[in-house]
Amino acid sequence: MSRRLFAKPVLLACALLLGGCAAKTVVPTQIAQPGDETLDCAALARQIAGNEAAASQFFHQDKQTEQSNTAKNVGGVIPGLGLLLIMSTDLSNAEQIKARALVDRDEALRFYAKQKGCEP
Amino acid sequence: MNQEIKTMLKNPSARRALRVAVALAAAAALNACASAAKPEAMVSATAPDAKPFPASLQHAMCVRAVTGGEKTNALWISKVDNDGFKSALNTSLDSAGLTAPAAACSFPIDVNLLGLSQPIAGFDMTVTSHVNYKVYDGSGQPVLLTTVDAPYTANFSDAFVAAKRLELANEGSIRTSIGQFFDKLRDANPKAAAKP
Repeated sequence: MSRRLFAKPVLLACALLLGGCAAKTVVPTQIAQPGDETLDCAALARQIAGNEAAASQFFHQDKQTEQSNTAKNVGGVIPGLGLLLIMSTDLSNAEQIKARALVDRDEALRFYAKQKGCEP
Repeated sequence: MNQEIKTMLKNPSARRALRVAVALAAAAALNACASAAKPEAMVSATAPDAKPFPASLQHAMCVRAVTGGEKTNALWISKVDNDGFKSALNTSLDSAGLTAPAAACSFPIDVNLLGLSQPIAGFDMTVTSHVNYKVYDGSGQPVLLTTVDAPYTANFSDAFVAAKRLELANEGSIRTSIGQFFDKLRDANPKAAAKP
């Protein structure tokens, strides 16, 4: 009975190992985009505000992922199940990457806004 | 020999010892002490037949700041730190003939390592680095702003121990990233790009 209980998680862990626990594909916002030079002050302000809101959301989600990873690592000491918990740790840093990309994007947009003499 | 092994495996305590040994070997393969990515392994070598850089960038660049890197926790996984990245980029600039003499830097570079997307395990480990490179001219105007996403896979033949494989994938990813940044620099037009 106990052998069967442990066999499944171990087999699943082996399958994960064989398949490779690939990280999620992350597509950050490009810091410079075609057409940036043609944006007017209103469009720049809209984009900057939208990016700020999205970045704040991503930073919040990043903290949650970090907490979840810590919990999984602590749970890693549980025999059998522990390995599965560790294997499910998310190291893609997706939210952090997206948030930082948006902060940098805003820096570039603010440069264009300043060049165009837009009100801060 | 096979008969001896079969006889040995009939013994429950021998089977238990074998299981523990296999589990320990698996754990060792999965996790060993993690080391930070090595700067010398992240240096991008410039091919002699590569397209030349714009004349105005040659012997005129320097690395001003590298941010976003992380220190490696030996008990967890390999990371890339700011100092290591900066050192690798400086050496790469040097070998490409882009480094400015001291106090004569016309095109400072700021680097923001947005993050590394890493796998937790696997025979083939692919790490993708996401990096923003920002090159400015002397007046502070951007010459080149670019985001580089660079995947690199280290496989089982590169290293048996997973922690080492991940370190190799980190190093390969940053090396590829610097190489792609250099390709974009080759196509940059410093004078035209200065005007937004």
